Amino acid sequence: MTTQDNTNTPSGFTTKLNLDKHISRRFNQELEQVRSLVMDMGALVEQQVNDGLSAVLNADEKLAEKVIKRDKKVNTMELEIDEYCTQILARRQPAASDLRLLVSVIKSITDLERMGDEAVKFGKNAIKLAKGNFAEQESSRPLVELKHLGKHVSDTLNKALTAYAQMDVAAALDIIKNDNIVDEEFDNISRLLVTKMMENPREIKNALRVTWCARALERIGDHTTNLCEYIVYLVEGKDVRHATMEQIRASIDN
Amino acid sequence: MNNLNIKENDLSELALTETVGNIYADNAKMSIRNADVYYGEKQAIHNISLDLAQHQVTALIGPSGCGKSTFLRCLNRMNDTIDICRVTGQLMLDNDDIYAKDLDPVLLRARVGMVFQKPNPFPKSIYDNVAYGARIHGLTNNKTELDEIVETSLQKAGLFNEVKDRLKEPGTGLSGGQQQRLCIARTIAVSPEVILMDEPASALDPIATAIIEELIDELKEKYTIAIVTHSMQQAARVSQHTAYFHMGKLVEMGKTEDIFTRPEHKLTENYITGRFG
Amino acid sequence: MTNSIKSSTDNTQMNDSIQQKSTVTITEKVTKSLKKRHRKEKRFKIVGLLAVLFGFMLVLTLITDITAKAIPAFHQHWVKIDVDYKSAWLNIDDTAAATQLTNQMQTANYRKVLRNSIYQMFSTGAEKKLTRQDKRQLTKLFSTNAEFTIKDKLIAKPNYINKKIELWVKLDDDVDSYLKEDFPLGEAGLRVSKKQAEWIAKLSTEQRIDSRFNLSFFTASDSREPELAGIKGALTGTLLTMFVTLLLSFPLGVAGAIYLEEFAPKNRWTDIIEININNLAAVPSIVFGLLGLAVIINIFELPRSAPLVGGIVLTLMTLPTIIIASRAAIKAVPPSLREAALGLGASKMQVTFSHVLPQAMPGIITGGIIGIAQALGETAPLLMIGMVAFIVDVPTSILDSATVLPVQIFLWADSPERAFLAKTSAAILVLLTLLLVINITATVLRSKFEKK
Repeated sequence: MTTQDNTNTPSGFTTKLNLDKHISRRFNQELEQVRSLVMDMGALVEQQVNDGLSAVLNADEKLAEKVIKRDKKVNTMELEIDEYCTQILARRQPAASDLRLLVSVIKSITDLERMGDEAVKFGKNAIKLAKGNFAEQESSRPLVELKHLGKHVSDTLNKALTAYAQMDVAAALDIIKNDNIVDEEFDNISRLLVTKMMENPREIKNALRVTWCARALERIGDHTTNLCEYIVYLVEGKDVRHATMEQIRASIDN
Repeated sequence: MNNLNIKENDLSELALTETVGNIYADNAKMSIRNADVYYGEKQAIHNISLDLAQHQVTALIGPSGCGKSTFLRCLNRMNDTIDICRVTGQLMLDNDDIYAKDLDPVLLRARVGMVFQKPNPFPKSIYDNVAYGARIHGLTNNKTELDEIVETSLQKAGLFNEVKDRLKEPGTGLSGGQQQRLCIARTIAVSPEVILMDEPASALDPIATAIIEELIDELKEKYTIAIVTHSMQQAARVSQHTAYFHMGKLVEMGKTEDIFTRPEHKLTENYITGRFG
Repeated sequence: MTNSIKSSTDNTQMNDSIQQKSTVTITEKVTKSLKKRHRKEKRFKIVGLLAVLFGFMLVLTLITDITAKAIPAFHQHWVKIDVDYKSAWLNIDDTAAATQLTNQMQTANYRKVLRNSIYQMFSTGAEKKLTRQDKRQLTKLFSTNAEFTIKDKLIAKPNYINKKIELWVKLDDDVDSYLKEDFPLGEAGLRVSKKQAEWIAKLSTEQRIDSRFNLSFFTASDSREPELAGIKGALTGTLLTMFVTLLLSFPLGVAGAIYLEEFAPKNRWTDIIEININNLAAVPSIVFGLLGLAVIINIFELPRSAPLVGGIVLTLMTLPTIIIASRAAIKAVPPSLREAALGLGASKMQVTFSHVLPQAMPGIITGGIIGIAQALGETAPLLMIGMVAFIVDVPTSILDSATVLPVQIFLWADSPERAFLAKTSAAILVLLTLLLVINITATVLRSKFEKK
């Protein structure tokens, strides 16, 4: 690892998977193309999530509409990458790490697209919240909590994408381990909002919208965890979903 | 780095000392331990140990000149025909040492049949091709028995319906794929326990290849099969176990599904994904 | 990564520019050199064609020349004479009993009958009385064989005694040649005097001379008299010798080749043997003759001039050829076939005899035929073992004295009589026909084996 991390070497993604070592230069380029498309899509989705979140927090109708509009691009990218991967599978019949790379990419983009959909939910709720004058109570506790959760999810997504770019299994495992933080925070917000709704039934509508936003954040957190699991699968060749997760968690608890 | 399972091995020749993966089979039909093969002074095979699991297909893959064909030919002593070839180590078929002094290679080859890269039917009739082995070994007492062997062998090789009306015609007049199936039928006719195949489909078109592969899949119910192939897809399709050879050494052996999705050794990975070795 | 992409695009751009710069010139260069190459090819084709034509012309000239020269040998001039079987001339007591008469006929003086009959024929007309010289010249017109013809006729039909019978007999070879060579009738020719020519003219005008197919060329053996000489002896000798050669050289050669190719270990000894076999093929054939003389005749004391000895000597000579050709043919059998049989558990012997040998057979037969054909035309070694003797009898076994066609040709070509010239050519034609027959047989056999 240390020897490979020279400044001249391409990204950890390429070096760690030896994507530039194929006999076929074209194959190298194709896989590199897939990689960069996925990274682009990841960046786009990250921006969508951040923008959607800030639209909700700032009741920014304009930004919300922009987010909703931009989701089309996310969908197009998913289709594009899907098609590209299918082409490579058909033409190259990849094996081992190349196969794992394509399988993980195909799965990752589904999760990324879902995250994009969650971002759209932010947008829609932001518009409704803005119309419901929710923004006046910007400093209200639920929004602070939501902001807090949003920051955490956004940071995790950013970390996950970086780990994806670097093929950093350690970072990925770290994220998987911390998945419960999001869940706990979501529970907190939920509880808070339920209390709020009981206190002030007029606010039920808006409170529900905030709940949905929190729920979306929780989903994004789950998708981020999935991304990290694909990283582990891609690098280690091991499926760490479901059953193996308990093992990993147990080992981390120890 | 430790969490990375693909080993950053020293790829030089000397470093290849131990085989990665699992060479053992629960029900080994043939088991080879510490086999070395020399051509004169040159060592072609270095200390190879592996098992061929009964009623399963084991694929031997590796770059040209890696010794996989040489190894395959050791298993029925076809290398005996080469004067300067010398084999050491323990090569067992069930409980018989196949290089034992008192074991006649003729008997061994009746138990361990072979199918070659290029379809090589004898320039005789289809019937005589299949009947040849049974005749020389005196497996039958009369014509009816021989007819029966020929018919069942051709049926097992999936060729009978195509040739039943022209059994007297020369085997060399068949298409490439049919010729190869004729060769398989000829091998089956001797009722071997193990069938060795040396790139059996490399001279055939994709359709004929698919037919042969399907046949291999059926044959494994009755026979133990070892197949050398240059086509990794083929190895992936037909085999249950895969052994990767490199420069006369067995680098990695394991279940085919593992080898083709998560090979342990860097060399295996490089080979099956088409990277620089 | 971006670096590598950039460098790769740089590379392609560079390649493009190189190509663009040189595209025109490369096309031009190729066109230029293409012309040159085509010219070269054309030239070579013409030279090759000329070589083939030249060789073909040579063969054609040879064949036409030989055939033209041989044609006279296939017909022979006969003359009709009136034979007077006078018992006085015959010195036979015609009153004796039939059995005695037959005995007497065997020993009767037919020469006198012949001569007197001839003299009778020519002592008519102007010159009634023949001088002594005339008589001698007259007798020379007829073959010495004529008196035997007369004898045979009388023995066949004893009632001809004391009768005058018209009988066809052979003319002498000189007269035969004279008639065949288009000298104006009545003019003196080579070895034919003016007087003899006139007699011939007279016989001719009386329709007493007839040209017939020369059957005796094929039914008679060698003779000092060209009109009597035939090739039967030499042909039989050749066939017997070839029979022995074939019987010995083919099995030995093939067995040797199979052993060396399939069974012998590859070591220094087999290398030495191989080199020696190759050298042996180049040894002058007369050396084998000497060997035959020294070993087979002097040590083993087999009869001289016998086809058996000739066959053994020729076997020694053809063995290397057959072994080399057979080894090449065996080597050419695809190893996949051997592997197929071995893989089924066939023993080495089974592989060799049921797979390799049938496949190699066409090549082996070709090699064998080349060897036999070579032996067929061989003279030198046979001279050394005495097959050059003048042998009148047709050999009946491989132990009889015999000669062979090439030696017969050699002997005839050496003879002074003009008529032997045609015989020589005719014998050559027969030899060539024999070769043709052998080659055709070989081709038929080959195609038969190849079909299998």
